[in-house]
Amino acid sequence: CNRCMAIKTTAIKKINILCKFNDVRKEHIISLRQARRDRQLVSKRLLLTEDEEQREVTMDTASGQQDLVDLLCKVQHSGPERGTHLKALSKALRDPSEQLTFIKQENSVNLLVSLLTGSNAQCRLHAARCLHELSHSPHTNVAPACLPATPYLLTFLSGQSTKFTELCLYTLGNLFPDSDVVKDKLLAQGIIPALANCIENQKHNLAVVEAAAFSLTQLLQAKDAAEKIIPKVLASSLPSQLLSVLNPDPNFGLAPAIECAWCLHYLACSSDGNGELLALGALSHCSSLLMSLGGAVAEGNKEEGMELLVCPLLRCVGNLVSCCPVDSLSTQVGDVRLVAALCAFIKAYLHTQPALARESAWVLNNLTAHSTDFCSALLTLNLVPGLIQLLPFSQGINTMILRVLANVAHKKKESCLQLAQLGLLSTLCATLKMADQEMVTLSLEILFMLVIGRPQVADEFVRLSGVSLLEAIQYNSEGEMRRRAAYLLEHHLLSHSADCTV
Amino acid sequence: MTASGNCPTGTTEERELPFSFTPQLFHLHKDHEVFEDGDIHRHMYLQDLYVSGADDEPALSVSEFACHISGCSAVFSALEEYEHHYNSLHRHVCCSCRRSLPSARLLDIHIQEWHDSLFTVLAQRQDMYQCLVEGCGQKFRTSKHRKDHLIRIHKYPPDFRFDKTKKDRGTREAKRPQQKDTAMEVADDVCESEGVCEVMCDVLSEQRELGETMETLVEEEAARMTKPAATMEHTDLSAAFDGNGCTSSETFKTQYSYRVPTTVCFGHSSVRGFRGRRGRRK
Repeated sequence: CNRCMAIKTTAIKKINILCKFNDVRKEHIISLRQARRDRQLVSKRLLLTEDEEQREVTMDTASGQQDLVDLLCKVQHSGPERGTHLKALSKALRDPSEQLTFIKQENSVNLLVSLLTGSNAQCRLHAARCLHELSHSPHTNVAPACLPATPYLLTFLSGQSTKFTELCLYTLGNLFPDSDVVKDKLLAQGIIPALANCIENQKHNLAVVEAAAFSLTQLLQAKDAAEKIIPKVLASSLPSQLLSVLNPDPNFGLAPAIECAWCLHYLACSSDGNGELLALGALSHCSSLLMSLGGAVAEGNKEEGMELLVCPLLRCVGNLVSCCPVDSLSTQVGDVRLVAALCAFIKAYLHTQPALARESAWVLNNLTAHSTDFCSALLTLNLVPGLIQLLPFSQGINTMILRVLANVAHKKKESCLQLAQLGLLSTLCATLKMADQEMVTLSLEILFMLVIGRPQVADEFVRLSGVSLLEAIQYNSEGEMRRRAAYLLEHHLLSHSADCTV
Repeated sequence: MTASGNCPTGTTEERELPFSFTPQLFHLHKDHEVFEDGDIHRHMYLQDLYVSGADDEPALSVSEFACHISGCSAVFSALEEYEHHYNSLHRHVCCSCRRSLPSARLLDIHIQEWHDSLFTVLAQRQDMYQCLVEGCGQKFRTSKHRKDHLIRIHKYPPDFRFDKTKKDRGTREAKRPQQKDTAMEVADDVCESEGVCEVMCDVLSEQRELGETMETLVEEEAARMTKPAATMEHTDLSAAFDGNGCTSSETFKTQYSYRVPTTVCFGHSSVRGFRGRRGRRK
C-alpha cells in the first residue's frame, strides 16, 4: 500500500541522509560500478517487517541478541512459544554471518520448510520471513541451501495472503541470481508460468504485482537469459500483463509501474523481444506514458522518483524504435509530439542526472534517424533552438544532439536554411573548435549539408570567420578532418577569393 | 578558383566527396556503458538507498576546446582562451617560410622584406626598411639602421635579439650569428624562432612526400614560450625580421618538422605569401 511505501522510504531515507554525503556512500557506488562492469551486479530487495515499518527504524540486530543455535533449538521443540522463537530467529537472520551459521546447522532449512507448510499460520509467516532474510544474503552459498523451500514458495504464489505472497515472490527473486543450480531448479519448477499466473490472477493487488515484476527482472538479467528465459517469457502472457499494469496508479504510486517497465526494458534489449513487443503495441504504450510524464516534468511537477520510471521507459522506446520498420514508426509510436517530451526530459535532468539526459538524446536520435515525420516535428514544435543550446555539454550529450540535428539536415534538406538561421551555423563555429574529434567530424558534416547549394549560408559562414577555422583544421593530424575542411574551403567557401588555391 | 562561385555538384564530384554522414540507429544491449548510471540508480532504489537528487553520478561537464594544429596539444576550457591562443600563435603565417607573425601589418612587412625581390632591388637605392612601430612612418636604408632607430627613439631594450641580420639572398649557409636564445637549436638554419613566435618549418624540401602528417616538437616550443622575454611583439620582431631568411634551398634537418601538406596553402585571410614562391627553392 501507498502508506507502507511512504513509510519504508522515509525510514531508510532518514538513515541514508546521514550517509548521503558520506564517503562510505561514494565508495559503495564506486564498487557498484565496478560490479556492473564485471556483469556481477545483483540487486536484491528486502521487504521490511511490519515492526520496522511502523516504528520507522530498521531492525536492530544487536538488541536481544540470542545465540542462533540456541534459538534454533528452541524452534525445533514445538510448543506455544514456537512462534515467538521463530520471530526472534528471523530477526537474527538479518545478520549475514548468522546466515552462514544457520545454513551450517544440520536440517536447519528443512525445519523452516516444515514450518512453512505446517498448520500454524503464524509460524508459516515467520518461516517465510526467515527464508526471506536468508535470500537477501550477500553470500552466494546461502541460496543453494534454500533450495528445498522453492517448490513450496512457488506453490504459495497462487495463495490468498498478500503479505505471504509478497514475501515468497521477493524471496524467489532474490534467490534466483545466486547460482546456476538455483536457476535451473527454479526454471524447471516452473517459475515463469507461476509468475504469469500470479500477475494475471492478482492484477488488482498492486503490491503483489510489484513483487512479481521484481522477481521477473531478476530472471531477465541472467547471463543466459536470451536462450533459456526470454523465449519462454515472450511465449507467456507476461508481456501483455506487464503492459496492462504499466500506467501508474494514482493511489498506489509508481512502484509497480517501475518494476514492469524494467521488465519490458530487459525484454526490449534482447533481439527476440522486439518483434513480440512491437506486435503487442508496447511502443505506443510506453510512448504515451512517456508523453504524460514529460508533460508533468515540463510543468515542474516532478513526483519524487519519477526518473526511476522514466529511465526504463526511455530505454524501451529507444530500443523498440531501433527495430521498428520506418514506415510504421509514426503509427507505432502514435504521436510525434513524443519528441517534445524527450526534450523536456533533457532539460529537466541535464544537471541532476546527465545520464538520463543522454539517454533521452539517444532516443531522439533513433526517432529522427530515418523518419521525416519526427524530423519535421522537431522543427514545427520549435525544439531546435533548445537543442542547439545543449551543444556545449559533454559526456556524450552533445555528440548525440549533434547527430539529431544532422539527421534533420540529412532527412529534410529544405530545412537546412532554417537550421542555419536558428543558430546552428554560428554554434558550429564553436563546435568545430572542440577537443572531441567526433564533435568536429559531425560539425564538418553538418556544415557541408548546410552550405551545399546555399551560397547565402556559405557567405554567412565566411562572415562568421569560419574560413580561418577551417584553415586551422587543415593542420589537424587526422586526414579525414583535413580532407573535409579542404573540400569545404575549395568548393564552397573560397570561390570569391583571388588567393584561392587548389 | 572558379569565378562562378560554388563548384558544380556533378556526379564526378560526388564520387570524391569526403563526407560520409548517414543517420544511424543504435540498439543498446542491457550491459551497455550508457546504461551504467541508470542501473546504479535502480540498484540504490531497490536497496532502499535511493535519495532523489543525490549526486551519485558524475556531474555534468562542458566540452573542452583544443587547438587543431597538429602537434599543438593545447586544450582550453573556454572559447576565448582558444581564440587567444590561435590568434597569437597560429595566425598571420607567412606562406613562404611559415613563420608566424603577431599581426597582419608585421606579416606584410616580413613578406616584403624577406620574400620580395623587388624590395631588395629598391632597397639598394632608397630607404625601404620601415620602422616597425605603427604610426612612426620612418624608413631606413638598412635593417641595422632601423634597429638602431627602434632602440634609440622607441626605447626598445638593447638586449633584444637584434643581433641577427638577415642574410643576403642566395647565401647558403650559415654562419650562424650569435644566438642568445639557446633553446632553439635548429640546425643551420633558417627556420627558427624565439620567444613565442612559432615557426612552422616547411619541410617542403625535395625529399618530402606529399601529404605527410605533421609533427612538431611541442616541448621545444613550450620551452621557448616560457623563456623570459620582453613583450611578445618585440621578440617576434627579432625573429621575424632579423633572423636568417628562408631563402636557402639547402636541405636542412629540422628539429621540429612541422610539416604542412603540400596541397594546402592558407587562404586569403590569415596567411599571405607570394603564390608559387617557396622561399627555399632555388
